[in-house]
Amino acid sequence: MNAKDWKILLVDDEREFITTLAERLELRGIPARVAFDGESALEAIAAEEPHVVILDVLMPGIKGLEVLERVKRTNPLVQVLLLTGHGSTRDGIEGMRLGAYDYMMKPLNIDTLIEKMESAIDYAKKAAALPGKSDG
Amino acid sequence: MRDALFMGRMTASATHELQNILATIRESSGLMDDLLAMSSEGFAHAERFKKGLGVLAEQVERGMILTEQLNFCAHAPEKSPAGADVNESVRALVGLSRRSAARKKTSLVLAPGRAGLRTSLRAVEVMDAVGAALEAALDVLPIGTQLMLSVEEQGGLGVVRLDGPGYETLQQAKGWNALVALAKTLGIGLCAGPGGMGLVLSLPRPAA
Repeated sequence: MNAKDWKILLVDDEREFITTLAERLELRGIPARVAFDGESALEAIAAEEPHVVILDVLMPGIKGLEVLERVKRTNPLVQVLLLTGHGSTRDGIEGMRLGAYDYMMKPLNIDTLIEKMESAIDYAKKAAALPGKSDG
Repeated sequence: MRDALFMGRMTASATHELQNILATIRESSGLMDDLLAMSSEGFAHAERFKKGLGVLAEQVERGMILTEQLNFCAHAPEKSPAGADVNESVRALVGLSRRSAARKKTSLVLAPGRAGLRTSLRAVEVMDAVGAALEAALDVLPIGTQLMLSVEEQGGLGVVRLDGPGYETLQQAKGWNALVALAKTLGIGLCAGPGGMGLVLSLPRPAA
């Protein structure tokens, strides 16, 4: 799949951070939508079924791990990359147990992020090809 | 103890915010770098601009290391069932002590340590004891020297070594008596390094 066909959702309450990250991805030909809280992230996921969700673990309202759990129940083939800080690496590890594809520490390296998104999309394609996995 | 845990929670929350600030600076400077790369031919000050972005990137890296060490410090008063990671505790302490060492024109060097080595102490206790040893060493070291610290395993114990002033000279340091008293309270052994040089702190082994 071409990067321009990827469907990426970025979720963080740090508006400047996440909108700038979306802009940088778009400059690289990767379309990205943004959501600023868990509630609107869940709505966007239900409406658009993104391939990959980049999700901050510490947000006001519905926390990242709760969003992850709900996504994995309703859209198991949507791959989730968690954003953690030094104090929330335990959340990253817990997130992996709950089905996150991987986690990354802030501040991000954009090249590493893109590599992880590509690898998550490859993983989702392979998972979708397995018997019994019709969604995604 | 309660106040240390409270301050730790406050500091941990602040370091999380600092990480968000650094992440935003990195993305914004990254965006400027991207845009510059797309239009540098028509921009007269491109080189100066690139240099400025390079400085921003370096400072973000510097801030990341500091917030990581500060975050470790914030959680250091917490009791962990597995005990404290000796290498991580000493690494955070050394990182946060560089500035006070620099005031005496002393540079601190941490040798690559034995990973995964633990002690029954809390991280804050390891940092407190090694910090007291560091202060004593800085008190007697001549200005403009280098002080090497290393974390090793000796006979199953976690050991922190400071290679620097002679052991007898160290005993004349201003903070020596306080260090001896603290070591006694925490069950840390103190002795001279090889050839009577430097100081070795032997930390209590982790609970089985």
